[in-house]
Parts: sequence; C-alpha cells; structure tokens
Amino acid sequence: MKTINFLTLLTLFIGFSSCNNDDDSTTLLAVESELISNLHAPQEGGQGNPVSGEFTKFNFALGQTTTSDTDWDIAFRGTAIIVNGGVSSGGVDEPVRNGEAGAYIATGTLGSVTSIDTSLIIQDSATSFAIPTGSDNGWYNYAGPPTHIISPIAGRILVFRTHDGKYAKIEILSYYKDAPANPDAFVDEDGYYTFNYVYQPNEGVTSF
Amino acid sequence: MLNLFVLSLFVLIVFSGNAQLQTTDSTEVNELDEVIITATRTLRQLSSLPLPAQIVSSKEIKSVNSLRLSDILNEQTGLITVPDFGGGEGIQLQGLDSQYILILIDGAPLIGRSAGTLDISRITVGNIKQIEIVKGASSSLYGSEALGGVINIITENSKYGYTGNVDYRVGRNNTQDVSLTLGYRNDKFSINSFINRNSSDGYDLNKEDDLKTVEPYSNYTFSTKLKYNFSENTNLFISGRYYAQNQKYVASETLEGESEINEWNVHLKLNHTYNEKWNSYFEFYTTRYKADEYLNDADDFLFSEGDFNQFLLRPEIRATYIPNEKNSIIGGLGWNHETLVRTYFSTSPEFNSPYVYLQYDANPTKDINILLGARFDNHSEYESQFSPKAAIRFEFNDKLSVKGSLGYGFKAPDFRQLYFDFTNSTVGYTVLGYNTVISRIPELEAEGQILNIIVPISEFEKVLNPENSIGLNIGGIYQPISNLTLDINLFRNNIQDLIDTRVIANKTNGQNVFSYYNISNVYTQGFEFNAVWKPNNYFKLSGGYQLLFAKDKEAERAFKDGEVYARETPSSPSFQLDKDDYFGLFNRSRHMANIKTFYTIERWKLNTNIRGSYRSKYGLFDTNTNSYLDSFDVFVKGYTIWDWAVNKTLYKNYELGLGIDNIFDFTDAQNISNISGRLFYGRININF
Repeated sequence: MKTINFLTLLTLFIGFSSCNNDDDSTTLLAVESELISNLHAPQEGGQGNPVSGEFTKFNFALGQTTTSDTDWDIAFRGTAIIVNGGVSSGGVDEPVRNGEAGAYIATGTLGSVTSIDTSLIIQDSATSFAIPTGSDNGWYNYAGPPTHIISPIAGRILVFRTHDGKYAKIEILSYYKDAPANPDAFVDEDGYYTFNYVYQPNEGVTSF
Repeated sequence: MLNLFVLSLFVLIVFSGNAQLQTTDSTEVNELDEVIITATRTLRQLSSLPLPAQIVSSKEIKSVNSLRLSDILNEQTGLITVPDFGGGEGIQLQGLDSQYILILIDGAPLIGRSAGTLDISRITVGNIKQIEIVKGASSSLYGSEALGGVINIITENSKYGYTGNVDYRVGRNNTQDVSLTLGYRNDKFSINSFINRNSSDGYDLNKEDDLKTVEPYSNYTFSTKLKYNFSENTNLFISGRYYAQNQKYVASETLEGESEINEWNVHLKLNHTYNEKWNSYFEFYTTRYKADEYLNDADDFLFSEGDFNQFLLRPEIRATYIPNEKNSIIGGLGWNHETLVRTYFSTSPEFNSPYVYLQYDANPTKDINILLGARFDNHSEYESQFSPKAAIRFEFNDKLSVKGSLGYGFKAPDFRQLYFDFTNSTVGYTVLGYNTVISRIPELEAEGQILNIIVPISEFEKVLNPENSIGLNIGGIYQPISNLTLDINLFRNNIQDLIDTRVIANKTNGQNVFSYYNISNVYTQGFEFNAVWKPNNYFKLSGGYQLLFAKDKEAERAFKDGEVYARETPSSPSFQLDKDDYFGLFNRSRHMANIKTFYTIERWKLNTNIRGSYRSKYGLFDTNTNSYLDSFDVFVKGYTIWDWAVNKTLYKNYELGLGIDNIFDFTDAQNISNISGRLFYGRININF
C-alpha cells in the first residue's frame, strides 16, 4: 500500500464550544483528504467454506494500515469491512473490537456529505456488520455471470467514527489492483481497495 | 367452485332445452371483410371496433414467407420479440413484456412460461388464417395475463372438397421447414390436418467462446381440426395439437445435454343456435406443457437435470343473447384448474379458479358503439379479481371515427413466484417463493444457515397481490381519401403491485435469501401511428411508428430527489444524476418503426415486397451499479433490419419463393441473440 497523494485542505474551522465565549475559540487542525491506492485485503476460503484470513486494518489518523490490536479504525478482508467498535460476529480470524468505532452509509458524493448524523451510526454486532455484506447491501455490487465484476456502488459514502471518537468519510473507487478504468474480473487481481477519504482530526467535530 | 361448475352444466341443460326454437344462423359472415373475434368474443368487423386491434392476414404471412410466429409479429408496429436468457422469444406490446400478453390459439390459451416468457417461436404460422392482436387490458373477457393485450392465432379452415398443400422452405444455417396440409369439407363436415417439421443447425454469433448462440434443434407440430354440423344450428368443433422440440443443450465446454419440449392441447366446442336471439357454446379445453433438460459432464455422468410440467383444464360455457340489431350480450362461466410439477419447487401446487364474465355491446345510434364488460375471477391462492372494461366508438362520418377504452387487467402471481425453493449450488444464494417463506425460513434457521432476518416472516402472512393495471387507449381512424388510411392510438398503462425480488435474509455463507413482493408501480405510455396507402390492387405501402415511455415511478422519484449517482468509469468518483438522466425500464426502445411495400405484377404472376423495421437504442441492464438505466449506462445501439421476398406462381398450383431476411447482415453478438445475420432462402409451395 502506498499513499500517492497527500493534500491538505486549508479550510479552518471556527469551533463552537458549549459556552459561547470568544475567548475559548481555538484554531482547529486541518481536515485531511487523501487517496489510498491498492490497500491489499485478501481473503481465504469462501465458495462454501468459511471465509478466513487476517483483516487488513487501517488507521485514519495515521493515514495508513496498521497491525496494532487496538489503534485501528476499520479493517478489510475480501469485500467485508468491519469497524473497531461493537462485538465480533465470531467469524474466523475476526479481530477483537476494543474501540468506539461505528459506521453508516450515506448517499451522496464525497464532497456533498458535509455533516455527520451521529444518530445513524451503528456498530458491528454478533449478527451483522455496520457496513452490511452482500451485493447491493453495502458498498458494492456483484454483477454475477458473465462478468463477475465487483463494483463500488455510485453515490455510497461510508461514514465512520474512529476507534477514538473522531469522524471520517470514504468513497471506495475500485476493488481491483491499480484501479483499472474498466476492470476485468478474469484478468485484474481483486482484493485491492482504492478509495478517497476525508478525516476530521478534531475531537467532537461532526462536519467536514 | 364445484357449485359453479354444476351451475354451468345446469345452464347448459337449460339452454339445450330451448333447442327447438331455432331459426337462422346469424353468424354467417363474408370472409372478405376483415372480421375479428378476439376483441369481443363475437364476430365483429375490425373497422367498427371501439378497441385498438389489428389483423395480420395469411396473405401477408405467405407473401413474406414467415415460418414462426416470432418472424411475422416482429414486423408489426409496436411489437417486438425479446430473447429470454432461457433461449425463448417473448413478445413485447405497448412496452409490456411477454408475461402480460395472453397468447391464444383459436381462442384457447397457450401455457408453459418457464420464467414468465412464452416462447412464441414455438408456434408455426404454416396453417394460420389470420393473427388477431388486441391491445390494451382485456382481462374483462380473458382474465389473467391479458393485462397488456391478447394475441389470438386463428387456424385455417378447409375449403370445399379435398384439398392439399405441401410447403418446403430451406435457408441458411440449414434451416428447413416442411409442412403438409390435408383438408376435406362438405356441407356437414370438415377436417383440416397439418404436419410441420422445422429444424436448424443453429448459429454462432460469437466464435470466441465455446458455446453456440443457438444450438441445433428440430421440432414437429401436428394439428387436426374437425368441424361437424349436426344441423344448421348445432355444430361441433374439435381440435388437437401436438408440439415436440428437441434441442442440444450446451452449458459450457464440458457440460452438454439436451432439452426437450412436449406440448399438447385438445379443444372441444359445441355451438348451438336456439333462435335468432340465443346462441350458446360449451367449450372444453385442456393442455399440457412439459419441458425437460439435462446436462452431463465430460465423463458422461449426469450433472444436472430440470423439469417443468404444467397442466391446464378449462371447461367454459358461454351464451350470446341478441335481443335486437342494436344490442347484444355475451356471458360466460368457466373454471380453470392448473397444476405444475417443477424442479426446485417446495410443493406440487394446484390452482383452482372459477370465473364469470359478461359483456354488453350496444349501438344506441348508428354512429355510436358502446362496449361494457366485466369479469370476476375467484382464486384459491391469491386475491380474487374483478376486471371491468368500457369502450366507446363514435363515427363522425365515413372518413373519421374516434374511439376510447378503459380497462382493468391483471396477471396472477405465477407458480414460481409462490412456490420456488431454489439454492444456487455454486454461489450459494437462495430464492424462495412468497408462499414458501413461512415454512422454509425457520427450517434454514434451524440448519444454522441464516445470519439475520431482514424482512420478518409475519409480512408473508398476507397473500401476494396479482400484478394489475389500468389501461387507457384513445385513438381514431381517418380516411382522407378512399385508398389512404391513417390510424392513431394513444395509450397509457398504469401497472401496480409489480412483483419483484428483494433480499429477505442474510445467510451465514455471505449470500442472501431472496423472495418476491409487490413493489413497483410502473407505467408505459406513448402512441402508435399506422398509415396504409393502397392506390390500386397491385401496390401497397404501409408504415408504422410507436413512441414509448416505460418508467418506474419510484425510480422517477429517486432521480428527481437527487438520490441517484453514477460514475464516468467504474473507478472514477461518483456524481449526482438529475431527472432527465433517467431513461426508463430495461429493454424498451423509445422509438420503433416499420415500413413495408408490397407490389404485384399481374402479367408475370409475381409479387414482391421489401420490409424494414427499426428499433432505437435500449438498455439491457444497469452497467454503472446504481441499479437504474440512466444516460451514463451502456446502451444497445439502435438498428434496422431489411427483408426482401419475391414469389411467383406457376401453373396456378405451384408457387416458388425466394428471399433474403436481414439483407444488410446486421448482428450484435453481445446483446441480441435472436438475430442471426443475413439469411437467404428458397421456398416451394404446391396446392393439390
């Protein structure tokens, strides 16, 4: 995995704390907007067998993958995305949740989702993930035969609360290595996520 | 239900009791007039109908050398056949697809819709007198499936004396079609027997893969029709038809097998005229459609097999009452009994549905015709249906008439939507029929296959509604000069409770359980325009055009509210679509048109024709994962097919034909499997 683009937005936010005292206003950190390419998240098993394999964990504050058992926000394996919050569904090789992460799926473009509705945030549970699995339920569509292509659904923005209570939003662009413009499921390697994300590093700020 | 049947028998007996009060036969019609029976179930002059209807004559079928029903219907305005993934060809009419169009032979319905589609390429046109097409909801007379319209194939009657006909056509892909017709008729008795064999080596549009587009097939049709007049007022009609097709079935390089269709129908009709006012029919119809297929693997071991075995039995009694020249009433009582045995079904379901209908046809003045009708279908498995219809025609003068009709149509949930129990063996998803859910989900749950339930089972306690529609047709016919006819019809079909699939539970293997539910409201609207110019007996020019908008109301709303997004390429960022980006339902073309010229050279006993049909672009599926067909999807390009035919008569009884179908060799290997490319053929027809 590599970060190919680092772009810092210069937008500064004026914070509104609970008491409206100008003296309390502080300069906030810049919102981070990045493109992650080829985050490799392979899975084993499947085709009737239990799915297994390590999840590839990601930390928004670091802007990269991590192997930490605690400081991760979301994790990928195959088409499944889990969050570090709630409880494990008990699947093979599924990591323990020890953070306060959560998620929901918003409709829009990455730019148009500007505020977070925290009431919609749910966490992984024993029966389902916050980002649902299966074609058309979560972030992707599986075309089935003859193309067998897995494509991210246009207009689905995944909104996350991180393990330490901050917010981020992502738009997945591709599930195939090097994000080909027209992927071929028989040629291009799958399990390689390319996505844009925006991270709000300021505690308690629910807008971007 | 049994009571209704007993009642209908009783009515028959009562009617028979009046048998002495007989006078003349009022149904004698000059065959030169275009007379249609499908629209009202009484013989009516086509031009006097208050409904949009059309007749395709045997003369046209013969002059264009059609073999199958799909060939000839594709050349009619607003009609198109759409290939099904199973290989069949279903008809689309006013933007409504095959499952909403009732197909009849001599007034009796064909069955055997494996996934809703009735494959009309299985019907030979070798012994057809005419094809009658009635557009608009017609459930007031025909019940289920007549939601969008009715296509009725009227078979040929024998001429007086002994007659015979042999027909042979051979063309590209080794497509051979041979028919033999034998007939006899005298004043009391007539018989018409017909045998057809149709075969082809198939064709392959895409040479790169291992599969052929159409595998080799051969089929036989046998039919016999008997008519016997006991007296001037009592006659009997018996017909039987048998169809058998065998086709190679290849699923992949290593999986190969056969598919076989066997279908038979028996139709019996007893007609009695009591007097000039009363007339009755007792009709008995039964049919079975059986399709079997199997696949063997490379080592010749059975890999999979499937079967489909549907049976329909229908007694019906109907009577017409004509109190005077201005009014007539037709009423009927009947009972449908239907069974199906099919692979992947939870049970062997049985449908029972008694019905009753009544239609009043009035001409209060000589310029006005009014048609009022209604039908009630009681059903064992879904909600009973009441289907009314009203139509009116007004004739301003000899040149101009207008007509309008409003009717209700429905299509019963089919067996598959109620009883399917299918799990894909390789991918692992499950599809359950609506009535299967309540018992099957707990079973799957007990087996530990269910991760979580999305739609509670309690939602399946209420019965599934039939898909239903209100259809409006308004049109007019204008004849500015005697040899030019302009015909326009505006239509709108509002379809409710369309049945679709949705995910009802997630499975532990990461796949889903799907079931059926009433969801979408869609509409189709547009207009159809036909013009026929026939300056003399030797030349005819006709043209037709249909404009069609077929849309889902929920999709329209989603686009309007900005909930729909797309991408330029599969890996580029999303952007929002607006309401103008919504194209409509899949597989619908906005524009369809045809032009035909027929020319006869009397001196050479020769007739020739050129026909073209155009279909504008359409989408087959969503290509940018927003589930809607929008302007950023990949479309199938519009196309035009041109056909040419010439026929020459020799020594009165011999006719030779030559032709080219699809002159410019149009094909689209990826998207259109039923257009085979340029097809040369020769034909010989002998009367004896």
